[in-house]
Amino acid sequence: MRARSRFVLPIFAFVALLRAGELLANPAIDDSALRTRQTMLENGLTVLTLEDHTTPVVAFQMWIRVGSSDEARVTGLAHLFEHMMFKGSKNIPPEKHGQIIQSRGGRTNAYTTSDMTVYTTEIPSEALPLVIALEAERLANLDISEETLASEREVVLEERRMRTEDQPAGRAREALYALTFQALPYRWPVIGWRSDIASTTVEDCRDFFSTFYVPNNIVIAIVGDFDGDAALEQVRESFGNLAPAAEIPRYATREPPQSGVRRAEVQFDLRAPVLATAWHAPPAGHPDAEALDVASEILSGGRSSRIYRRLVHEEQIALSAHSVYSELAGAGIFGTYASVRPDASIDRVEALFLEEIARLRDEPVTAEELEKAKRQIEVAMVHQLTTNEAIAGRIGYDVTILGRIRPLEDQLAAIQAVDADDIQRVARTYLVDAGRNVVHVVPPPTSTEPGQGDS
Amino acid sequence: MSGFARLAGFIGLASLIACAGSVDPPIWDRPPPPIADSPVVDASKLHRFELDNGLSVIVLEDHRLPRVSLGIALRRGSASVEPERAGLAGFTAELMKRGAGDRDSLELASAIDALGSVFGVGADWDSITAQIWGLTRDLDSMLGILADVVLRPRFDTEEAVRARGELLAALERATDDPHYLERRFAAAALYAGARAGLPLSGSPETVAALDAATAREFHARMFVPNNAIFFASGDLDAGELLERVGAAFGAWPAGEIPDAGPPLPAPTPTARRILVVDRPDLTQARITLAHEGISRTDPDRLAASLLNEAIGGSGFSSRLMQRVRADAGLTYGVSSGFSLRRGGGSFAVATFTRVAEVRTVIDLLLTELERARREPPAGLELEEMRALQVGRFALGIETSDAVLDSLVNLEIYGLPEDSLDTYRSRIRAVTAAEVARLALELLHPERAAIVVVGPAAVITPQLQDLGPIEVVQP
Repeated sequence: MRARSRFVLPIFAFVALLRAGELLANPAIDDSALRTRQTMLENGLTVLTLEDHTTPVVAFQMWIRVGSSDEARVTGLAHLFEHMMFKGSKNIPPEKHGQIIQSRGGRTNAYTTSDMTVYTTEIPSEALPLVIALEAERLANLDISEETLASEREVVLEERRMRTEDQPAGRAREALYALTFQALPYRWPVIGWRSDIASTTVEDCRDFFSTFYVPNNIVIAIVGDFDGDAALEQVRESFGNLAPAAEIPRYATREPPQSGVRRAEVQFDLRAPVLATAWHAPPAGHPDAEALDVASEILSGGRSSRIYRRLVHEEQIALSAHSVYSELAGAGIFGTYASVRPDASIDRVEALFLEEIARLRDEPVTAEELEKAKRQIEVAMVHQLTTNEAIAGRIGYDVTILGRIRPLEDQLAAIQAVDADDIQRVARTYLVDAGRNVVHVVPPPTSTEPGQGDS
Repeated sequence: MSGFARLAGFIGLASLIACAGSVDPPIWDRPPPPIADSPVVDASKLHRFELDNGLSVIVLEDHRLPRVSLGIALRRGSASVEPERAGLAGFTAELMKRGAGDRDSLELASAIDALGSVFGVGADWDSITAQIWGLTRDLDSMLGILADVVLRPRFDTEEAVRARGELLAALERATDDPHYLERRFAAAALYAGARAGLPLSGSPETVAALDAATAREFHARMFVPNNAIFFASGDLDAGELLERVGAAFGAWPAGEIPDAGPPLPAPTPTARRILVVDRPDLTQARITLAHEGISRTDPDRLAASLLNEAIGGSGFSSRLMQRVRADAGLTYGVSSGFSLRRGGGSFAVATFTRVAEVRTVIDLLLTELERARREPPAGLELEEMRALQVGRFALGIETSDAVLDSLVNLEIYGLPEDSLDTYRSRIRAVTAAEVARLALELLHPERAAIVVVGPAAVITPQLQDLGPIEVVQP
């Protein structure tokens, strides 16, 4: 399955509800997303409503088309601002928003990526009017004070330590994007650089809010057990008088072609080194996306895949290894990642990974591999149909980033249409040596064992 | 319906007049609607059987999508393993994935991947589960794979050597992860010498001693049908499926049900102890406070869960989130929880902060635990925790797979079959007096073990007067 963004930062993340891959996929699938009703208010706010009365819960999502790649002077602002959306408004004290949702039996969260900021709520159906009222309240009356910003900066710095600074995988990811993108605003981390987070001002937040949190930059998706007409009416009344922006600033920057291998090393006190490699790939919505998905699946989908067999099982040099095509709104990355066994050489893992990439360019994949990969993608894709939250996420993403809902049938057909020539063609087009970016996270060269006794 | 429209109209009005000073309370200040009480499980779709060999069968039909999920769960798990062989249950589960019936490791993986299926075998403390998800049209193939893996695993010697090497390397890698170190040393602080004192995946010493023969013997002892549950959900016909389950698993001979393992030691620790796990490179310290808790079947577990949610739990609303994150900006997250196992379990509070503030945060945690004993949640706070729990429960069973997971879990612990349907009324029945009693019985900040992962040189001086400190290497 394709990654939809490189790095998702939830405001609040320790209930990791990893749904085990729920499956399905078949011609006779009822794609409920096609029943979505799309309405645009006069001020440009897009509202997506999709009724499904199976269970008495509803998902409400507010998608803002702003992410770290829209940041102009202060990195990490989109994400820090997302936190500030929970810090109170004219009629709601700090933290109260989340508490009210919880006290009605709901859960709420938010996340920021390089391209978007998303506020999500799942709640028993009868509380939907409350959710709409609360979202409208913070859009209309957000209150950002020096005091709450000061403490939230510290919260975000703790988040940065947890996700990035003290985590080998986080260090690898940050270095990889900084290396791969030299011009595009994807080069800095979503969470931002430490010094920027520490120096963000109330004024920065207010400017950001008035520039990007405007109705013509927002998509609301409501999915589940509710009355579409009544909800739409309430959204119209609550959000309808927000003023649109005449213009929303965007970067015009293009990434110049890469003309040579780039390498970076990060030294970190660890035992299992991390290898991360990236190539430039096309952005979201590009017709080569499906071929890249299938190529990635052939490389690393399941235990019968090429990379698992070779690096993990046969050679016993990696603990895990995988590839993924990640689509961003304005660019793409085909990335490969490996956790190197403490007793193995990272250079050898890199060499064998590259051999497998070269094989994709040089030899056609087998019919059997092709079929298997397509099936795996199809089954995973239809997994999206199982919860209101997931369906709201799908339609919200599609409309926010692509401007339309991609019918599942079209996506499945595009996957089915990929053939061995396509795989070879995209491998030759994108996975080229001169466009490679390589990061090694390794222990410092003279790593000495710390020998501290009891205190 | 008309209620909805009326409410919606009201909100529009409220937002219009908000500037002029509202006459009616805004929607968020009104009391939450009453908790719904409809049955959770549709009895017409749920089917239970038992085969002659004692295998329990639970089937939940859901025909909305052409997909199925099937599995076998044992009512015993890693807790049945003696400490010297810690990791054996997980090792056995891993080997079951590496060849079964007529298929070797690669052939089995290829068969699963060709269906687009997801397949796993995993060991938890009180259960071992093999499960496969896929399309209805592949039901026979999936059932065949499941039966092979459960009944006819190969335990190939060469695969065992590879798997052991991978597990040992993974254990080494795990020490790169501060969160792993925090959990591992918290368990060690509470349960040294017992199986529960070591991670689920074992230690390098115990895993190094595992081999194919040990796994084969363990499999034979644990996998008996009278200790197992077959479960399935999705687009299937229960009657037809039962026939196929009978054909696949009917000849599986019953055996002796293995011991569930000893109860966990309690109380523990009996006096304050502090472990500092030295990671000089870290900029952020991980902090856990822990002591004994309650078991999965403890009659007080729902009241305890309300108490826990008010203190820390896993949400926005807790006292600790307010104090440590929102007010002080000292962390990104703080949580607490009872790990409910058959033989007991721990109560733990966990958070993380910059290394210079470790003592400040530990003091905040201890203060809030003390306060919970003096001022236990009651009134509106308790009411909100009830709503939170009930709502999370509803959201947690949105899919039929999730409902079935819960039903299987109840079966593993021998809890009443109708527990899901009665959950909300049982939560509602918890009184403030019960919660207050439990706060005194279950919270022991004065003797909780304190585990901190981070640079000992910075952390140890902050903790000198808190209790005896041991500095350990990861």
